[in-house]
Amino acid sequence: MITDTTSRNTMTVNFGPQHPSTHGVLRLIVDIDGEIVRSCRPEIGYLHRGLEKMFESRSYRHNIPFTDRLDYLCSLANNLAICQAIERVGNVEVPERAKYLRVLMVELNRIASHLVFLGTFATDLGATTVFLYAFRERELLLDLLEAMTGARLTYNWIRVGGMPADIPEGYGERVIAFLNQMRPRLDENDRLLTHNRIFRARCEGIGVLKREDAIAWGATGPVARGSGVNLDIRKAAPYEIYDRLDFEVPVFDEGDVMARYKVRIEEMRQSARIVEQVLKTMPEGDIQTKLPKIFKPPAGEAYSRIESPRGELSFYLISDGTPNPVRIHIRAPSFIHLSLLQFMAKDIKVADMIAVAGSLDPVMGEVDR
Amino acid sequence: MSVAHSGSADARRSGQFVGVIFVFIVLLVIAAVIGHLTLPGLAPVWHFLGAHPILNALVKAVVYVSFIALLVLFLIWWERKFAGWLQARLGPKHVGPQGMLQTLADALKLITKEDITPAVADRPLFYLAPFVVFVPTVLTFMVLPLGPHWIAQDLNVALLYVIAISSMTATGIMAAGWGSNNKYSLLGGVRAVAQLLSYEVPMVMAVLSVVTFVGGLSMRHIIDYQAQNGWLILKWPLIPAFLIFLIAALAELNRTPFDLPEAESELVSGFHTEYSGMRFAFFFLAEFANNFFSAGFAVALFFGGYLGPILPGIVWFILKTFVLITLMMWIRWTVPRLRIDQMMGLCWKLLVPLSLVVFILAAAWASR
Amino acid sequence: MDSLNGHKKEGYLSDFVNGFLSIFKGMGVTFVNLVVRPKITVLYPYQRLNVAPRYRGLFWLKWNEEKQRLNCVGCTLCAQACPTNVISMNKLGKGNHAGVDEFDMDLGRCMFCNLCIEACPFDAIYMGPTYELASYERNSSVFHIQVLAQGGAEAVRINNETIKAALAAEAEKKPAAAVHTAKEG
Ligand code: SF4
Ligand code: SF4
Repeated sequence: MITDTTSRNTMTVNFGPQHPSTHGVLRLIVDIDGEIVRSCRPEIGYLHRGLEKMFESRSYRHNIPFTDRLDYLCSLANNLAICQAIERVGNVEVPERAKYLRVLMVELNRIASHLVFLGTFATDLGATTVFLYAFRERELLLDLLEAMTGARLTYNWIRVGGMPADIPEGYGERVIAFLNQMRPRLDENDRLLTHNRIFRARCEGIGVLKREDAIAWGATGPVARGSGVNLDIRKAAPYEIYDRLDFEVPVFDEGDVMARYKVRIEEMRQSARIVEQVLKTMPEGDIQTKLPKIFKPPAGEAYSRIESPRGELSFYLISDGTPNPVRIHIRAPSFIHLSLLQFMAKDIKVADMIAVAGSLDPVMGEVDR
Repeated sequence: MSVAHSGSADARRSGQFVGVIFVFIVLLVIAAVIGHLTLPGLAPVWHFLGAHPILNALVKAVVYVSFIALLVLFLIWWERKFAGWLQARLGPKHVGPQGMLQTLADALKLITKEDITPAVADRPLFYLAPFVVFVPTVLTFMVLPLGPHWIAQDLNVALLYVIAISSMTATGIMAAGWGSNNKYSLLGGVRAVAQLLSYEVPMVMAVLSVVTFVGGLSMRHIIDYQAQNGWLILKWPLIPAFLIFLIAALAELNRTPFDLPEAESELVSGFHTEYSGMRFAFFFLAEFANNFFSAGFAVALFFGGYLGPILPGIVWFILKTFVLITLMMWIRWTVPRLRIDQMMGLCWKLLVPLSLVVFILAAAWASR
Repeated sequence: MDSLNGHKKEGYLSDFVNGFLSIFKGMGVTFVNLVVRPKITVLYPYQRLNVAPRYRGLFWLKWNEEKQRLNCVGCTLCAQACPTNVISMNKLGKGNHAGVDEFDMDLGRCMFCNLCIEACPFDAIYMGPTYELASYERNSSVFHIQVLAQGGAEAVRINNETIKAALAAEAEKKPAAAVHTAKEG
């Protein structure tokens, strides 16, 4: 990354790590020429905890709670990804009902995560009220997740070979009631924000990511789908029970901030559809496979990929037959998307840079690990 | 950017001294300007105080400044409460009934806080800026017709005076942005000046439409006209004039969608990033006082000012002003922020031509 | 997806007018929230929400009314299941009369991950609804058995007595074992 620091016309400004708009502890080193961003360099590592190294000194089961701290807005997706990797390397079968429960929880968590995106993104653009409306809905959702898992943020509720507990009494009705309330509220949000002329002016045609670039730079998830790449791991390589569910993958071709925003908003509606189907078709039965107290998978390696709210989240795992993994590598979508900033946030206005960074929806826990 | 806040104690004390002197001078200036006048509504008080012009004027100045301070205390509370309700929250609740005294508590907190000066600040500018922002605001209140007998100075060029004085605020904001020696502040200051100067144009055109329509620059003249012919907002060429005025006023007040100079998510706090304690309070005071003034000005121009049945004029005036202020808050808490080029585009490509058209229409209508 | 589309190119003036209308629509939404919708603030220290039954808050050790002792037998399975070594304990007694007289949890390290609860085969440890666990000192985040046990310090005392009495009763039957226990205790 070459920055033209010698030019008299540019001024280097730090956005972050302590700044009201950055998500977590992201630091953007920005060269600005008046109002125009000449270069934008993301500086990461402020939240580095060495998780990948920590994984190596702990047993498989002990590692699951640590994945909560990756993408803390959607910790169930991380739990699911690492559990799938472990199950693959250890050839563990997951009972049917547990699969349904997993999808149920992960999709609810996806809605919660996108609601956070909606709120923070709107705040980035100055619409503070949307933030509170989004969090009002999210709070109800967190109540639901709390009723199931007992926690509100770091759930740790997926285990190797199943789920730790079944849904509580009357849970389905509560979820349906929530979804029925959420859908009109999403329409309301469209009236308040999506169709707002100022919001559209701030989002349309800004930070365009071309389809080729999206593919070349490894963008996944809503960022890729906003650029017309029809890639959703739930469809491309179905895991759990996604191949049995009926849902659409929203794809927009514009590649701008608005497209990414719309993908996420639409995904919330699709997730609601998935949740309803799961609740309707969930079979009775076991939720956890019996496994030995000390779990030792055979030597080998496994790769799991899932569609987290931020994109393709993968765990690569090597086992040597001991209780501890030899290596776990995480492919964190936020990390890969942040590298897009250096050319997306170039020669645009400062305000647009904030919007573009917000539209990537990075979670620093996942970037720094 | 150095972040050391190690201004020596001496410098800090002298800074405070400069501030106090400055406020005193301001009071004197206000006194000198309105000194030889009488506020008829307060006539008995003035009689009691004696006919000494300076004493008389000083008292009036003090009355006005404390009126503004009280007003601002209430306005801040109302803004927070309104924003709270609108956002499904409750707003301030703890101090006093319904949190009424919360602003007072905050003001006390701000007064007792350490007054930090960045080590690399341009001191004179940094110290003076809050007052340079605050003083024109106070001065504009001079011509505001609060009631039939509540007008400090019924200048015959009142509108001209308002336009001239209120644009001085830009100087203070620029001084704050430059003097803080902070990159965010500088950007905020630059944005503020660009914005304030641009939106002055449609604002003046909207006001001029009223002037040509009515045929006078004096506040009392405009209100007398409305007393005879009905509110000016009901005359159709002036409806767009009011809308232009409202948008321009929002921009002048740095309120969302035009809060670019202090855009939180971009510039932390814009031009007052480095300010703390009392100086910050002055910026706040000026902002809300300005808000009241702009709304009051619009009420006087378009909504008949203090005219209204039964209740005394001042009550009507404050009621109408508060309705308008609430409308501004409502807009503020609904919309996102514009980008700088869109903000300028809106002004120069849309509001300025539109305001010219409105002006011509108003002039044509008036000369019928 | 239809609700998100419908942004077509418009003329200069109609765009302006529609822009205004869209802002008014937005203001309608905020107005509804201002007037109709309930306010959701909970005045926290004065009002509290009830947490879910499964809520993962402060731990407690279950008291067994029938046997007059804590359920915990000091098997350390929970300590082994814990990824961050939160739990340490001191075993009291052995065999059928095993129990604990010390059970420390350094919650400064705890992730409230539930793994210890799932590991316990004796239904001895649970997570309760208490959530205000912040403190001013590091040491205050270490919770001892007197706090964790259901019934508090009194329960711990009875627990210890019950176990010791049981051990003594056993020792009367088998004198050899008593010497052993005395050494340990
Ligand atoms: S909740 Fe988790 S971290 Fe806390 S004591 Fe239990 S196993 Fe350890
Ligand atoms: S709490 Fe349960 S697992 Fe832990 S030592 Fe006691 S009996 Fe064993």
